Amino acid sequence: MSLKPKSNWELIKNGMFGENTIFRMAISLCPSIAVTNGMKNGVSLGVAVVFVQTMVNATVSLIRNFIHPKIRIPIFMLIIAGYVTIIDLLMATYARPVYKEIGLYIQIIVAFASIFARAEVFANKNKLWPSICDGFGMGLGFLLAMIVISFFRELLGKGELFGYSLISGNPLLIMILPAGGFLAVGLLMGFFNWVDMKFFGGKGASGV
Amino acid sequence: MTTTDMAKITFNLVTIYVIGGLIMAFVYAKTSPIMFIKAKEEKEAALKLMMPEADKVAVLGTWEPHEKHAEYYAAQKCGEMKVISIKDEKTGEMKEEKECADPQDIGYIVEGFGKGYSSYIHILASVDKNFIVQKISILGHGETPGLGDEIEKDYFLTQFKGRSADNLVVIKGETPDKIQAITGATISSRAVTEDGVKNGVKLLKEKLSGEVEG
Repeated sequence: MSLKPKSNWELIKNGMFGENTIFRMAISLCPSIAVTNGMKNGVSLGVAVVFVQTMVNATVSLIRNFIHPKIRIPIFMLIIAGYVTIIDLLMATYARPVYKEIGLYIQIIVAFASIFARAEVFANKNKLWPSICDGFGMGLGFLLAMIVISFFRELLGKGELFGYSLISGNPLLIMILPAGGFLAVGLLMGFFNWVDMKFFGGKGASGV
Repeated sequence: MTTTDMAKITFNLVTIYVIGGLIMAFVYAKTSPIMFIKAKEEKEAALKLMMPEADKVAVLGTWEPHEKHAEYYAAQKCGEMKVISIKDEKTGEMKEEKECADPQDIGYIVEGFGKGYSSYIHILASVDKNFIVQKISILGHGETPGLGDEIEKDYFLTQFKGRSADNLVVIKGETPDKIQAITGATISSRAVTEDGVKNGVKLLKEKLSGEVEG
């Protein structure tokens, strides 16, 4: 974590690439395996996370001076669970068709390590705007990772994208099963580290 | 840690949790009545779809799978539709209303719950008078996205048509007369088939077989 202040754009970029939740920080790996067996699932969860993460970061940043440092963890939990509950209720009432599609994803956001981590590491120590940008960037990074992983898993495992058939013949069924999730995340993580080392002079995940 | 510190922390935590709780309670109070009405409308619409050829669906009774409230219904076709005139008590005007005369049961619908991988799956199943499954539909569930939620897909649901209670068994792999499990979601498939639909059909048989010929 560098100490010099970053511009808002740098914060968003940092969330998307430099400290990408899944490929660089390796947190929130459960959903990256459980919910990436199709593009529709991955993208729905990603969008929901962008929203919740931005809102949670903004709220934590706003009330950070009222939070006693010793009890910050239960308070972050309340904020995350509160947002998830409220969004869930509002969607179930006023947007039922959408709720039927992505309601399941909203509920599982409660236990998201990446949202928790950013509230603790960033929003708790920074002003409102940088926190919003950081949350938005981290969310986008997560969305991006979900898109990449589910793209390969759905294409290889089902021969489809967004449910539309693209490749005929026998797909590699293992790719849409949990084992395939581990394979996809591991290989992609390795690939992005290799790209970083080869072209951008990075040191790989161990150097982060 | 001094007593003042402890009091400060306690006060801080309690205040924020009370505020959070109040906000959530407010949203719940505003949304839950609307949600309740919408869920009821959806259930009625789903009931109609279960047996489209029926003219009306009448509640026969209730049962409690997994200690949840569930109902079972008779799908009825009217012998003839009578048009009768009723006097509206408020306005005093005469209104014409259709009345269903001599309704005949053409099948039954049962609401059930199956214990799935991470939730109770809310199911409707319709059977004909010989208790052969005609159609099932999933009203709600909280199964894993991408695996368990495949139970909503047509390829799984259409397997149920024409099955008798004895054939409501989940098999891994191809099967001519039973139910094929969804890859990676055997528990959810079992919950729908064996826990939900099969128990529902059994209940209908138990309660109604006296009224059916044969």
